[in-house]
Amino acid sequence: MSRLLSTVGAIAIGSLLAAPAATTAWAQETVTVGAIEILSGPSAAYGTAIKGGLELALDEINAAGGVLGGKKIALIIEDSAGNKDQAVNAARKLVGRDKVPVVIGPTLSNEMFAVGPVTNERKVVTVGTSTTAKGITEIGPFIFRTSLPESDVVPVTLKTAKDKFGVKKIAMMYANDDAFSKSGFDSMKAAAEQLGFEIATIETFGSKDSDFSAQLTKIKGLNVDAITISALVEPISGVVLQARQLGIPASVRFIGGNGANSPKLGEIAGGAADGLLVGSPWFIAKKGETNEKFVADYKKRNGKDPDQFAAQAYDTMYIVAKAIDTAGAADSDKIREALYKTDFNGVMGPFSFTQGRDPASNEGVVVLAMKNGRFEILE
Amino acid sequence: MAEWLDDFLFTYENLVHALGVHGLLALSMYCVMAVGQLSLGQAAFMGIGAYTGALLTLNLGLPFWLVLPLSALAPALVALVIGGPTLRLSGVYLAISTIALGEVLRVLYINAEWLTGGALGLSGIPRKADLWLIYLLLLIGVVAFWAVGRSKIGRAMEAMREDEAVAGVMGVNLPRYKLGALIVSSMIAGLAGCLSSHSNSFIGPNEYGFEMAVTILSFALLGGIGTPVAPVIGAIILTALPEVLRPLQDFRLVFNGLIIVIAVLFLPRGVIPFRLRRAP
Repeated sequence: MSRLLSTVGAIAIGSLLAAPAATTAWAQETVTVGAIEILSGPSAAYGTAIKGGLELALDEINAAGGVLGGKKIALIIEDSAGNKDQAVNAARKLVGRDKVPVVIGPTLSNEMFAVGPVTNERKVVTVGTSTTAKGITEIGPFIFRTSLPESDVVPVTLKTAKDKFGVKKIAMMYANDDAFSKSGFDSMKAAAEQLGFEIATIETFGSKDSDFSAQLTKIKGLNVDAITISALVEPISGVVLQARQLGIPASVRFIGGNGANSPKLGEIAGGAADGLLVGSPWFIAKKGETNEKFVADYKKRNGKDPDQFAAQAYDTMYIVAKAIDTAGAADSDKIREALYKTDFNGVMGPFSFTQGRDPASNEGVVVLAMKNGRFEILE
Repeated sequence: MAEWLDDFLFTYENLVHALGVHGLLALSMYCVMAVGQLSLGQAAFMGIGAYTGALLTLNLGLPFWLVLPLSALAPALVALVIGGPTLRLSGVYLAISTIALGEVLRVLYINAEWLTGGALGLSGIPRKADLWLIYLLLLIGVVAFWAVGRSKIGRAMEAMREDEAVAGVMGVNLPRYKLGALIVSSMIAGLAGCLSSHSNSFIGPNEYGFEMAVTILSFALLGGIGTPVAPVIGAIILTALPEVLRPLQDFRLVFNGLIIVIAVLFLPRGVIPFRLRRAP
């Protein structure tokens, strides 16, 4: 027994010792970049799309000669399963064992609130590609994001609704039990007040609710011009379907937050969602050579159409690679300085960072409208 | 070498914290299951402890040695109040009503936005839960339960677990034991909650719901409830497994599930099925 134990012990210690040595030897020819995404569990669709976008960009970068004069980028993608603790464990592994200078991700804002303080403390640059909640980049000076926060997208959508459709009186709805939806609503409310909308009522629901008739009946009686909604795509689909069943006319448009920006909305709600407006940093049919090539290549590599998460991830990989090149070394501090100087034109449009490490411009935002269960650019 | 060790500790710091905290949660589950009750309220008690601790630290700036006992006291008060009516129930009915406690509290955290931050939760909680403190508390817990288990009280608890009616006839004060067990278990869960919120820097309202309740229950189911060490071992296995299996990448969850299924199939009384020996 004791012999068995000592053998097991020796193997364990041996493998622990061998692992860091192996990575350092390997790191001389490559630059290792880490990513934390949701690859399993109910939210795996987001992480898988991001992974597809990252890997497509990675292949292109490495095929074109890599960074730092011929070094290839190696990407280690860790799964967080959408769980805050696992995301932190993954981050600690990437930082402590793989010694990555840059972490891309994690997928959800909630995960970033847990991971950010850890990576920031170790001065490792962290770039969120899909975290839209308020306060992400305020975690610390090493936390960046390439996803436009809701507070940049929503005002564009609301202003379009006001200018194009003469919307004045609105009802607001949101799911009050998850950070993403609540944070999106806060941005919507601020934008609505700034644009001088009359807010007739604010109604809340739970992300897993399936009956919204009480809230919608009340809204029906208020004769509003439009209904804003901030939630994930499943509850939004439910709300939209029930609204039409309860006889809220199609002339009352829904205005969605980032959660509504998903092809799933059309799949679930079908024609009931027609007329819904949503702002998006990217659109599949966006004109331009870069985007058309990206859509075609992504489809060829992954067998399906890219979504906005894939597009954001694709651009982010390029932005990170360029920053490593500009920095001249795989060093977190230098990469951080280089990211501030980012001047990139990708599938989302021209991109640079503010001093607050958020995307500088929302010029790339397009307003989409639902028509026959599909999104189209609003002309 | 020192730098390497530092990196190693950094990599697994969070996991080592989680192992200790989950060990405490497993003990709190053991405490109610030892008297034959099935409670799914342990996650709720943990949440009360986590929120109490975080709020006391963030808003009042109390020192941690004071925050910790207060976060054990708060869930104990709740357990005292709800213990009376709910402990008249048993089996699945108790389980269902304690699930309700977790749901009620979740809705409360979401809507009491001025205090709990609503869906956005509380962030920026300072990291004050030292490793030695977590493991000291876990050790004290295990030793205390071991000592109690071998005493007359332990025998009464075991009698209740095996056959409540017979235990009652033999003169065991059933309501007192049940309420006592619930209160002690809620205090341990509260401690675990406070320790976890002070090692995680962020807590949200959806972390202490049904999913967590079932996770805590599974610690005891996998480990067994014969001795206080068994559920702690169960917690360690279930917490460490996803990280140990990380090199398997995409197949991680498959193997994770497979190992648990095999363990439950072939070790129905838990990984550590032994029972406590009685004191002479």
